[in-house]
Amino acid sequence: MVRRKTIHPDQELDKLEAHLAGTLRPVTPPKDVIHRLRERIRFPQPHEIASHLRGEWTKMWLVFGGVMSGFLVLITVARAFFYLAGRRHGG
Amino acid sequence: MPEIEFNEDEVLTRASQGDRDAFGLLYERYIDRIFNYVYYRTGNLHDAEDLTARVFQRAMNHIKNYTDRGVPFSAWLYRIAHNLVANWHRDRSRRQEIPINDVPVLPSKGDHPERNLVRSQEEEALLKLIRRLPAERQNLLILKFVENMSNAEIGEIMGRSEGAVKSLYHRTLLALRDQLGDQQINLEGE
Repeated sequence: MVRRKTIHPDQELDKLEAHLAGTLRPVTPPKDVIHRLRERIRFPQPHEIASHLRGEWTKMWLVFGGVMSGFLVLITVARAFFYLAGRRHGG
Repeated sequence: MPEIEFNEDEVLTRASQGDRDAFGLLYERYIDRIFNYVYYRTGNLHDAEDLTARVFQRAMNHIKNYTDRGVPFSAWLYRIAHNLVANWHRDRSRRQEIPINDVPVLPSKGDHPERNLVRSQEEEALLKLIRRLPAERQNLLILKFVENMSNAEIGEIMGRSEGAVKSLYHRTLLALRDQLGDQQINLEGE
């Protein structure tokens, strides 16, 4: 009597799953496709986005520096004014 | 290209206010995934490029309508992609074009270059069978294997429960196995 090799249905499905994993692999879009897509949608490049964000920080520091400098000038002028006013009254 | 780290909720808020830089960040994060999905659903590099562009254009035009109701942004994007691919298939069937070629071979992530050049006959045969499955089952297989998503994540995108996805997956495997048998395609062991 010849014994036939039987495959359990679960084994068959496991094998099929393994083949599916090998067939449906994530692919990398070609660089020219990515470039054309970006051009088409007119998105800025990642380095442009990064420079915009850096640019915003630079701008914020400049504004902060400008406000602080202005404030110091105002304090200096106010102090000078009170000093001169005090001297006049005093003497 | 390294992925730029960012808080997606914050970026989504900015993007919905019309900030193109913010949308650009979302584009960078999702372009590969959407391209993969469309590529496997169309089996055509040229149309995959065209449809991927249209997915992002549509997303950009409608992002103001995107409200986070527990549905991740990725699920919203995949739904746009799914609708566009469905329209594309409908238009193609109306025009009765010549059947599309087999899925062209693109470099797979993390593969040896020589592995990319050819797909084995088995893989070609399996891809053909997958592409004959109903759209919903194709989606499921692509999201599971290409995008490496869990049943719960797939359920969010497909608007089904985790259990329903699991059941559909099992039925899809059985259908594929039967079709392989009908066509006398024998998959060699891994």
